[in-house]
Amino acid sequence: MMADRRRVNGPSGGTRPAVFASLAESGTGVSERAQRQRQPSELRKIFLKTGLIPTASGSSYLEFEPSASLAAARINPKSLIPPSSALKLACTVHGPKPLPRSAAFSPNLVLTTHVKYAPFAARKRRGHIRDASERDLGVHLETALRGAIIAERWPKSGLDITITILEAEDDRWWADAPDSHDASWGMMNVLAGCITAASAAIADAHIDCLDLVAGGVAALVSDEEKQSSAAPKLMLDADPAEHRSIVSACVVAYMPARDEITELWLKGDSSKASLENGDKRSVHEALLDGAVDAARGAHTVLAEAVRESLLKTVG
Amino acid sequence: MATSLPPVAIPGQRLGSVASYAAGPGTHVQQSNIYASIAGPVIVDPAQPKTQTKSTLRVSRMVPGVNQAGAAPSTSSAPAPKSKPRYNTLPAVDSIVLARVTRVQKRQAAVSILVVLDEASAANPDPSKAASDNDNVASILTSAANPENHSNTDELRFQALIRKEDVRAVEKDRVVMDEMFRVGDIVRGSVISLGDQSFYYLTTARNDLGVVMARSDAGNMMFPISWKEMRDPVTGAGEQRKVARPF
Repeated sequence: MMADRRRVNGPSGGTRPAVFASLAESGTGVSERAQRQRQPSELRKIFLKTGLIPTASGSSYLEFEPSASLAAARINPKSLIPPSSALKLACTVHGPKPLPRSAAFSPNLVLTTHVKYAPFAARKRRGHIRDASERDLGVHLETALRGAIIAERWPKSGLDITITILEAEDDRWWADAPDSHDASWGMMNVLAGCITAASAAIADAHIDCLDLVAGGVAALVSDEEKQSSAAPKLMLDADPAEHRSIVSACVVAYMPARDEITELWLKGDSSKASLENGDKRSVHEALLDGAVDAARGAHTVLAEAVRESLLKTVG
Repeated sequence: MATSLPPVAIPGQRLGSVASYAAGPGTHVQQSNIYASIAGPVIVDPAQPKTQTKSTLRVSRMVPGVNQAGAAPSTSSAPAPKSKPRYNTLPAVDSIVLARVTRVQKRQAAVSILVVLDEASAANPDPSKAASDNDNVASILTSAANPENHSNTDELRFQALIRKEDVRAVEKDRVVMDEMFRVGDIVRGSVISLGDQSFYYLTTARNDLGVVMARSDAGNMMFPISWKEMRDPVTGAGEQRKVARPF
């Protein structure tokens, strides 16, 4: 791993108190897993506002509603460890600005995306240099936005999109040990948030785009204690901290006006899973439909936020 | 005809059919429908009887208070100056720009583009309409013409070149660049080409193009006295420039 040699780094994973298995299993009430209070097709509430950063040509701030357990723990804390986390991120758009001298002539807009977790964003402390997963998110975000921007209207210019994640989703419930189904599920929710926020910031910067592109996540989850035969359930906007095990998840960037998907990311093993009886769709189709539905929901918030900031400037 | 048009649009919003409108700036066409591609007020430009048959639908980048100060009610035009006065417009061929000279060489002068003038105000320079826009242009220029204000922000501006043969329309071979521009001058120019990877190309070969603001050796703002000379009001010394017609 790359080390940042220019700064005095704190310990790489030292900001949270250690969690012992006995504490997690002792049933003190501290360690109860958060339960999903929403309907399977119900999204978390989204807060989205544009134009908060005056020096950028466009900006936005996005926040997901914290889960009920987190809200309760904030009012009546039983432990130093928050039961779950909610997504908070800020997006800035700089440009269109001239390309650097070394760059070749480009008849189109050159899009650059940077996604960075703040060091304190997740339970494990992040470094100051972008790591592989952050660069991965940047590439996914760039793909999602490139399909939506009308790049040929901005020749010879570049657009920098920078996202700072202030609070990230958990990959699993904090007291769970990683198991065979484990993956960085939180990244998928983060990417969906990034797409929605970046789209709002681009609209705030008045860059031509085909549609407001929104991100949505759907996941197949199994909440049973043991590996039973019950079919996994499809959940929209699944918070990984609220589920025992996520079988697979899918994030899309979706443009409702054209019914087009610009980015699709599917994770997990859904080949053996099957849906509940009566659902004839394949698992992939169901995941994809769910993610598109979630994106449609996020798009309503996005459209309202863009319209609100527009009406504010028009007066 | 304009009954179903929304007052403001957001990207991806359907505005009308290409059968009844032509697509203007800020819109795009998808499956013979016009969609907005930026967020802003929807404006219908009536058809010119001779050249077009359909009226043009566009989404404005401008805040209405700035764009049409006369038409907007006074309540909305009053707070307009504190909102963003203009949105990123790229230099395009034939657009009029204001630029600051950064380097003068034998064959060319390098400038960095400060403002791309709005196409509407460039097409019909109506003084009453342009007045509100000129206010903030003036503030940009006074800060830009100040030699102490030369920061590294040139990196963030579009760079352009004025070649020796593009300085004026007559006696092109007698042009001496040192007598046309000095570093720090503010030049009004017209874009003739998007150029190569790094520079746009400007021309000042028109009477209304050339140096609009300049400081003398003594550091005072000069006033133009002819198409090729400006004078310092304090010392009375004249300096040579390719001067733009003031009005």
